[in-house]
Amino acid sequence: MTNDLVIQGLVKTFGKIRAIDNVSLTVKEGQLATLLGPSGCGKTTTLNAIAGLEIPDKGLIRVGDFALTDTGKGRILPPEQRQLGMVFQSYALWPHMKVADNVAFSLKLQKVKRDEIRKRVHEALDLVGLADLADRYPFQLSGGQQQRVALARAVVTRPRLLLLDEPLSNLDAKIRENARVWLRELQQRVGITTIYVTHDQSEAFAMSDMIAVMENGKLLQFAPPEELYASPATQFVAGFIGATSFLRGAVASVDGSRLTVRVANGDLLSLSDRSGKSWSQNQNVVIGIRSERVEMASGQKDNLLNAGVAVSTYLGSKWQHEVDTGSGRLKVETMDAAASDRLSLYLPPDSILLFPE
Amino acid sequence: MASITEAGQPVLKRSWDRIIQWSVVVITAILVVFPAWPILLQSVMDQPLYEKTRAFTLNNFVKVFSSPVFYQVVGRTIVFALATTALSVGIGMLLAIFVVRTNMPGRKFLRNLITIPYYVSPLVLAFAWGTMYGPAGYVTILARTLHLPTWNLYSLGGIVIVTMMYTMPYTYLYISSSLALADPQLESAARIGGANPFLTMLRITVPLLRPAITYSFLLILVTTMELLSIPLVLGAPVGIQVLSTYLYQLGVVGIKTDYGSIAVVSIMVVLMVTGLVVLQGKLVAQERRFVTVGGKATRPKPLDLGGWKWVVSVIVGLFVFMFVILPLFALVLQASTPFVSPLVNPFTMLTTKNFSSIWDVSTYRQSLTNSLLIGLIGAAIGIIFTTISAITAYRSKFKARVAVRYLSLYPRAFPGLIVGIGFLWAFLMIPGIGAIRNTIWVMMIAFIMRYLPLGFSSISPSVLQVSDELDRAARIAGTSWFGATWRILFPILRPAMLSGYFLLFIAFLKEYSVALFLYARGSQVIGTTMIELWRQGNTGPVAALAVLQLAITAAVLVLSQKVLGVKLHD
Ligand SMILES: Nc1ncnc2c1ncn2[C@@H]1O[C@H](COP(=O)(O)OP(=O)(O)OP(=O)(O)O)[C@@H](O)[C@H]1O
Ligand SMILES: [Mg+2]
Repeated sequence: MTNDLVIQGLVKTFGKIRAIDNVSLTVKEGQLATLLGPSGCGKTTTLNAIAGLEIPDKGLIRVGDFALTDTGKGRILPPEQRQLGMVFQSYALWPHMKVADNVAFSLKLQKVKRDEIRKRVHEALDLVGLADLADRYPFQLSGGQQQRVALARAVVTRPRLLLLDEPLSNLDAKIRENARVWLRELQQRVGITTIYVTHDQSEAFAMSDMIAVMENGKLLQFAPPEELYASPATQFVAGFIGATSFLRGAVASVDGSRLTVRVANGDLLSLSDRSGKSWSQNQNVVIGIRSERVEMASGQKDNLLNAGVAVSTYLGSKWQHEVDTGSGRLKVETMDAAASDRLSLYLPPDSILLFPE
Repeated sequence: MASITEAGQPVLKRSWDRIIQWSVVVITAILVVFPAWPILLQSVMDQPLYEKTRAFTLNNFVKVFSSPVFYQVVGRTIVFALATTALSVGIGMLLAIFVVRTNMPGRKFLRNLITIPYYVSPLVLAFAWGTMYGPAGYVTILARTLHLPTWNLYSLGGIVIVTMMYTMPYTYLYISSSLALADPQLESAARIGGANPFLTMLRITVPLLRPAITYSFLLILVTTMELLSIPLVLGAPVGIQVLSTYLYQLGVVGIKTDYGSIAVVSIMVVLMVTGLVVLQGKLVAQERRFVTVGGKATRPKPLDLGGWKWVVSVIVGLFVFMFVILPLFALVLQASTPFVSPLVNPFTMLTTKNFSSIWDVSTYRQSLTNSLLIGLIGAAIGIIFTTISAITAYRSKFKARVAVRYLSLYPRAFPGLIVGIGFLWAFLMIPGIGAIRNTIWVMMIAFIMRYLPLGFSSISPSVLQVSDELDRAARIAGTSWFGATWRILFPILRPAMLSGYFLLFIAFLKEYSVALFLYARGSQVIGTTMIELWRQGNTGPVAALAVLQLAITAAVLVLSQKVLGVKLHD
């Protein structure tokens, strides 16, 4: 029997706001799933519903056969009986307890034997590499160390689930990148099912087995990172992930999954659709173009766009240009500065995303 | 560390959380309703509540509203309250600006002296002023022998000035903390815009204080309207009555107690005060737009008063010396001499007789120990209870949490005298609890009820400051709401609880008005004994008792601030 986290039909409203709007998803045991979305989309509320800190209006949440919330049966387990681990945005280390006492807190509540507690606290602190700071108070630690203590405290009880609410957002950019590699490695080593909340997409991509993109309380897509990038389910997902520009057009011809789209200024672009939707001739569509996939034309015959450079920005490792195609603005990245103020661009057929208008 | 599966379907464990949260609401509601309902009931009864033959009537209202004395008293109360409040706010604000915002010499030293009356019982203050500035007081006689113009402290003007001195520290504390919080960049901006320091103060600093001024104005209006002791000591002997002394007269001094009228007058007072308290809440909410805050680290440069700084310093110093130091000094002299006279060097006739006369009479001695017991134990119960209330109100998903907040703050509308009347009548009505009626426990419960708002509002800001992720983390770690309260919030709140404890202790030690109706042989407190002795004309022992009360308060202040490092105000 597996211990997947199953969420079905979760709904939570605050007055008129639907903070969670009928969300269902399943996270496989041992995997790390990220809730990703813009501010206010309901990530924290979803996490809190799993934790029992927020009582949903409707829905089922269970880990394997262990039902945490089942509004159908009127069963809502209070947070203290769910056996979870959680790391908060502010770390929430109790300031009046030493590091070791913070970590030992729930073991003491479970009446674990003294020797056993000492052993497990040491193990947990060792796991996060802070065994020698056990006797410090939280205010004597750096932000990164506090975050690691919070993690040790969350995993010391061997919880069913590990919940993380933007645990890295209070760290400096530099430390944050190291921390996410470290955190991912630790999660895989421990093999604990983890729900991770962030609004930083690069963080989500670096760490997740699965990513759930949310908007206005709705779950738009739940997929592995590669799939999310290659075939976003909606225009919103495509826009939220990576730097994507959109042009309007109409379908010129359909041949299975090969289509040709005529954009506003008359240029024809052929592309291969991976969404599996059916398309009809003359249907109005929106195409999404990933700026990092656009190339400078070098002898290609098709899928060319002529564009005038509007703004160029130097980003350190590359240039980013905003170009006017006559059919709309497009973001383009190049390694070198633009040679002239007109560019001939090549859009590889498999780099173009297609959405109904 | 793979996740565990064995547990299967967990059983929902019951916790005490709901029971504790319900207890908080129910106990608070009982405390608030307990003294209120006998008064409401009595107002429409033709006989005292304990009479079985009592019947419904509206005559009490007719009687009070057709009595010219009532209107006279209401009118005088309004004049008294407004005059006192205006003076107190004006002077408190000036002092706050001088101390916090200018380079007046000696401001650190004067700052501490200005707030002294805050810690002194108004009863003690009234006696102290009587000793120094009364018709037979040191300064009065001195002025008379020097053929200087004299004054009459036993007049409305005298009452206003003494009450102003008692209430001014509240304004001072409130406005000075508001000044300290104000964003100095607002003043800098005015200076850069071309305003000189005085103009800046007039156009920027003072207008920004409007919320603090409004708040303290209403606070002091309420305090003044319900104040009994100063009008009683300085006004009653010459027949000046305000609402509080009128009530006292009706209930305690009168030959035949007129229960109906007491109830009606009490209701009127509570309604007026409720109106003011509600208004206060409304105005303060509106004035939010003025809040500029943000605990800026930069201290603004104090305003340079130039050569005037010495003049201001001397005036403020003289004011503090004459109005704060001298009266208290007089009290100490009176307590340690057989009689007061400016014609005899008091140090040649020092005596401990007044002190020993308190110590030798067991009922007087008992009032000291009672006050201490009520303070020590009652304040502890009070602060623990209000802390749990505040956590219930601000940190739970409990349905009735809003009610907890309103109920805890509502006693502000009950003058102490009326709380006493209500408790007394409630006890007269309920049969079978006579045994505890004359104990200090009743007194303690009544005191706690009266100071629920003080406890609640002293702890609430600290509760709101603690990040709620801390208690959420404790819930996740496996403890109940009460477990998180007890193991996480209480330890974190300990400094705030400690300062709340001392605030309550000092308030309990000072309290007399609740006790006036309620006390009986065995449950007297310092305040009631002082009034009893004063009515017998024993001024020496009154002063001795007052000095003892001051000494205890001072000791507690030193202990809390110097030894334990508690901050009673910010
Ligand atoms: N206690 C509450 N009362 C009312 N509305 C709430 C409450 N908590 C959340 N909301 C609303 O629910 C919506 C979702 O909030 P939530 O905190 O889950 O967003 P989020 O995705 O975590 O955002 P962020 O990235 O900013 O943390 C928001 O519109 C928010 O205003
Ligand atoms: Mg959030």
